[in-house]
Amino acid sequence: MLGGLFGRSERDPDDAESDGEQRSRPGGEQRLRTDGGATASASAGTDASILTRLRRSEFVESIPFWGPPAVLVGIFVYGAVAWNLVISLIGWDGLGQPEYTDFSLAAYEQLLVDPSFTSAFWNTLILLLVFTVLSLAVGLLLAILIDRGIRFENTFRTIYLLPMSLSFVVTAIFWAWMYNPRIGLINTALRGVGLDVLTTAWLSNPDVKLFAIIFALMWQFSGYCMVVYLAGLRAIPRDQYEAARIDGASTLRVYLRVIIPQLGASTMSAAVVLMVFALKAFDFLFVLFGVNPGQSADILSVMMYRVAFDRLQWSYGAAVATVLFAMALSVIGPYLYAQYRRGEL
Amino acid sequence: MANVTLEHITKRYEDVTAVDDMNLDIEDGEFVTFVGPSGCGKSTTMETIAGLTLPTEGTIEIGGRDVTDLPPKDRGISMVFQNIALFPHMDVYDNISFGLRLREYDQEEIDRRVEEAADIVQLEGMMDRMPEEMSGGQRQRVAIARAIVRNPDVFLMDEPLANLDAKLRVHMRTELQRLHKELDTTIIYVTHDQAEAMTMSDRIAVIDSGQLQQIDPPLVCYNEPTNLFVAGFIGSPSMNFVEGEVTADGFDAEHVTVDFDPDAYDVSVGDEVTLGIRPEDVYLADGVESVEDPSAVVDAWTDVLEPMGNEVFVYLKLAQDAELRIDERDSDQLLMSVDPDVEVEEDGEIDVVLDRSRVHLFETGSGDAIVHGLD
Repeated sequence: MLGGLFGRSERDPDDAESDGEQRSRPGGEQRLRTDGGATASASAGTDASILTRLRRSEFVESIPFWGPPAVLVGIFVYGAVAWNLVISLIGWDGLGQPEYTDFSLAAYEQLLVDPSFTSAFWNTLILLLVFTVLSLAVGLLLAILIDRGIRFENTFRTIYLLPMSLSFVVTAIFWAWMYNPRIGLINTALRGVGLDVLTTAWLSNPDVKLFAIIFALMWQFSGYCMVVYLAGLRAIPRDQYEAARIDGASTLRVYLRVIIPQLGASTMSAAVVLMVFALKAFDFLFVLFGVNPGQSADILSVMMYRVAFDRLQWSYGAAVATVLFAMALSVIGPYLYAQYRRGEL
Repeated sequence: MANVTLEHITKRYEDVTAVDDMNLDIEDGEFVTFVGPSGCGKSTTMETIAGLTLPTEGTIEIGGRDVTDLPPKDRGISMVFQNIALFPHMDVYDNISFGLRLREYDQEEIDRRVEEAADIVQLEGMMDRMPEEMSGGQRQRVAIARAIVRNPDVFLMDEPLANLDAKLRVHMRTELQRLHKELDTTIIYVTHDQAEAMTMSDRIAVIDSGQLQQIDPPLVCYNEPTNLFVAGFIGSPSMNFVEGEVTADGFDAEHVTVDFDPDAYDVSVGDEVTLGIRPEDVYLADGVESVEDPSAVVDAWTDVLEPMGNEVFVYLKLAQDAELRIDERDSDQLLMSVDPDVEVEEDGEIDVVLDRSRVHLFETGSGDAIVHGLD
């Protein structure tokens, strides 16, 4: 049994041929197999041979390589996820120790009727979709412009990518100044060109708050999308452009019908990164608003922190975290599956 | 259908001249091959015809119409690329019909023409395959179908067979010739492979350093190369060259002498000339009856033998201590091809003669041909 489990890689070819071999040599000498099950002549020293087989099997030999990381990830990632799930079920509040006695779905039932959860959920979805789509679009546009062989290409690439390298704390404060209703650059600029009607308190007005945040995040992330798309564009041979041009396509059509459809893989990988980020866009909002961004800009990650660490409703916070986890899975899952289908995993 | 005329085409990139004053007249229905080493400007020349690159100077006419400043789509050309350049996200039908759909032909017309084109390149029943599901040869056929479906006046083919394996390449060579016969359209073909050029073309344009060296039918290029470059480039293995000078008795080099009367040709005593002789025009001195007019005997030492089955290439050293250089043979080396049943030993001493009627003389300095074949 153990031999079958652990000696597989060495055994398989042997198994495959043994049938034919025995048939072709009826009554011939008994073939001595060094692995994959005992033969009559190997009855002595079976224990030793199991140990030897164990030591030689690829599974055992490879343990030192994948074992430690598997244990660490198992405990600190998957273990923590599981523990979070458990906490969400035990109704743990306040400063006491958790008691693992009563399990109920009360926290989840509470979620369904909590208006602040509903708004945080929708805001998270809007952020996820609008931010991702906008960043991809802007990134693609920048990438195409840079790919046209402009001057100072490397300089522009660095400039566009630079925001990505800044900490969210820095960019949040930076945008807080930009959006400052009295002295902020945006309102000043709008007033400067006589568009006073458009000026507003960007970060307090509930109508625009969320979109102001999305815009700031897009500023930070479109550079990343540009880099991903640029790599995709560079992988498309020049011939494709020339073939399309000879076939009579205008520049716009070359991109719309020939080039952009080939950027599917780039879009997918950039989109996954953006969406996962959007789900955990905590720091940016926390720096701007603290634990309470108000209903119009509240998102699940901030709500999770507020409920758990501000109000000490541990189980309720854990339930929010579980929802967030499920959303992340629904983003990553299809991507991983698609990668797996394409044989890249 | 159309003829193509290039007048004084020059293409300069910052400090490099890729094409230098190219003049060409390609006739309607002709299959012309641009051949030359990589970087010689043959692809750039084709790109200027296609309109993918604008020439720095000069004019291009297709079918009597000046197209120098027209975009590619208005030139009545279609092109097949080295990397095939099928659109990977479209199936065969969409790939072939791409250009027609852009021009908004009606659906019936598109279907009819796609079917016709697919028929010519034998792609029936593969319309909904994706390029990645096809073999290299099939993809190449799709690329050709995409080119013919638009019914162009001129086909441009930029090393279309370079990425195929050797066997398929030979096969597609024949296919392209059949295609040319069937369509009777002007084809301009770029390759660095002189064998491709020799087998397919009506005329070969040999290009080097951005300049046209010779444009003639394949056999004329082979038998009467205009200069040392063409002589060395066309033919495989390449021609033997021996540097020497003209004396009162004819050609004289360290190891080779060939008698002729200098007054009968456009040379004078003391001229530095290079003698060219193809491997198949070098013979063993014994049994030389087959050569009507052999040269004086040349002493040689055999080095490497390369049996090819139908012939054997024998690398000869003209001095016993000469060092053999296979790719760039010096004046003290000769390559000879003999019949496989002739016995030649490696590292032996033999006498060879040259067929005087097949000797070429070139000016060593300019490389220009002086004479092809001595009387």
